[in-house]
Amino acid sequence: MSVYKHTYRAYGGRITPLWTRVLVLARYAFAEAWSSKITVALFTLSLLPTVVFIVIIYVANNPIARALIMRGSSREFAIDAHYFFLILQTQSWIALAITAWVAPRLISYDLSDNALPILLSRPISRFGYILGKLIALLASLSAVTWIPCLLLFAYQAYSSPGPWISDNLRIAAGLLVGAVIWIAFLSILGLALSSWVRWRIVATGIIFAAIFVPAGVGGVMSAILRTRWGFLLNIPYMMSVLWRRLLGAPDFMRFGGSLPTTAIAAMLVIICMASVAMLNARIRAREVVRG
Amino acid sequence: MDVVDLEGLEVRLSNRIVLKGITGALRGHAIGLLGPNGAGKSTLIHTLLGFHQASKGTARVFGFDARRDRSQIRQQIGYMPENDSFIGNMSGVRFVCYMAELAGLPREEALERSHEALFYVGLGEVRYREIRTYSLGMKQLIKLAQALAHGPRLLILDEPTNGLDPMARQRMIQVIKEIRKEGSIRLLISSHLLRDIDETCDEVLILKDGRIAALRNIEEERNSHRNFIEIETIGATEHFSARVRELGCDCAAFSGGRIKLVMPDNIETTDLYAIASDQGVQIRRMSRRRDSLEDIFLRAMGSEVERMENVGL
Repeated sequence: MSVYKHTYRAYGGRITPLWTRVLVLARYAFAEAWSSKITVALFTLSLLPTVVFIVIIYVANNPIARALIMRGSSREFAIDAHYFFLILQTQSWIALAITAWVAPRLISYDLSDNALPILLSRPISRFGYILGKLIALLASLSAVTWIPCLLLFAYQAYSSPGPWISDNLRIAAGLLVGAVIWIAFLSILGLALSSWVRWRIVATGIIFAAIFVPAGVGGVMSAILRTRWGFLLNIPYMMSVLWRRLLGAPDFMRFGGSLPTTAIAAMLVIICMASVAMLNARIRAREVVRG
Repeated sequence: MDVVDLEGLEVRLSNRIVLKGITGALRGHAIGLLGPNGAGKSTLIHTLLGFHQASKGTARVFGFDARRDRSQIRQQIGYMPENDSFIGNMSGVRFVCYMAELAGLPREEALERSHEALFYVGLGEVRYREIRTYSLGMKQLIKLAQALAHGPRLLILDEPTNGLDPMARQRMIQVIKEIRKEGSIRLLISSHLLRDIDETCDEVLILKDGRIAALRNIEEERNSHRNFIEIETIGATEHFSARVRELGCDCAAFSGGRIKLVMPDNIETTDLYAIASDQGVQIRRMSRRRDSLEDIFLRAMGSEVERMENVGL
């Protein structure tokens, strides 16, 4: 083809390796996610707690600033595992909001416009397609979870007078692992739910509902049956327990005892497997015939 | 090399056998895929693309097995689906570039060829508009552009003129003819419109109820019945017809001096003129009847006998 001659010409140039096609999908998905002003607004919002946490770390490690702000109060700022748990928890709920907004954008455009037959007629598998979308979502969520968390950890390590980092490396590992588990879970769940709903705004609502409605049901179950196992439906509670254990922060002891880590892990795996099954059923190169 | 090679291909969908052990080699430059609704045309295309697995037998595209070598096959195919298939919130050029990159073109090449493909199919002026704002004809053309941009060896077009107005249809047919004429791309065109296949293809595969009803070279098939002649005469038509029968021709006379006849191979048209001269009959018009694709299709569908009876030879 030639723009000026308007005739077809065959392509005889270089072909990119097969594995890079997933990155093409991820790049376009990432661009789609960040083309929305709401995504940018949510990301900006996610920076506000980080700024507050930075200020607190600064004040905690600076005696002059502390003296100016506290004005004789004897209260101490403890920058410890509990503090980083609060950081991780705050950033993680912002990540949920971003997932609820971004995940439907990544997948529902393709489904509502029936783009899958064309996309999957390329040398890319269904697994590759989902992986590309997952990479884009994970990259977006990383920017608001483990990256700021580790930056705050690094700032605390830099600001603290003593050998703080060597005593608290577990916190860094916990932040990374806890955040990665959460964003991987959110990404898979978000994409799976989005793939079943045609309208993006409804998909956003369903993602929130999938997190909070079972939590309410689990709470009622636990109260009525007087059992702790109802909390296995309470994802916010489960994740809080898991994060505390990963960071080495004191465990929750409310509701008469906490959940075993293996039960939490098993529940997360089950939800992820159900999400994968949903994606497997939905992401197919079949044509939608509109009446 | 065969474009498509089918060996006992059987495909089951939801416990229903859609393709029932079809065998054949498609070698044409532009292959038409015909058949009534539910015959298995789209299933065959989807099997070649690796969307469906064969339950028995094999399907090969350029020698690559549709089950094992899906990536290699898809690398060489451009596919234009029957129904709307695009990403509505993308501009035309971005969408085609995206598809070209997924097909393996480097980013710069993909962008350059996307512009070229869009100009080629006639969407150059609207290439920066979002696809959701395109008309139906434009949406068909952008599907064609994305199928072409990466320079495939085989272009699969599923109902390319579906829903197009006469002008848009003519434009689509013209583009397909140009692609065929250029020569580097083989075409597999599925359509229920005989006229589309007739205008664009040199080989036709007719499917009926999941089986191959006919696999023909259209040109050869047209020429195989070249001895069917219609003539218009003035004069003693009955005597003329009787003499022609004596030559060994099947012949039927109609009102107005019209005569239809099938000539054996050893008889030439000059013999007819000689008889006419002897009988004092004027031959005012003589036309050889060529088989249309409709004839081939109807024969394949098993209706030809009934149709011939109606002619009343």
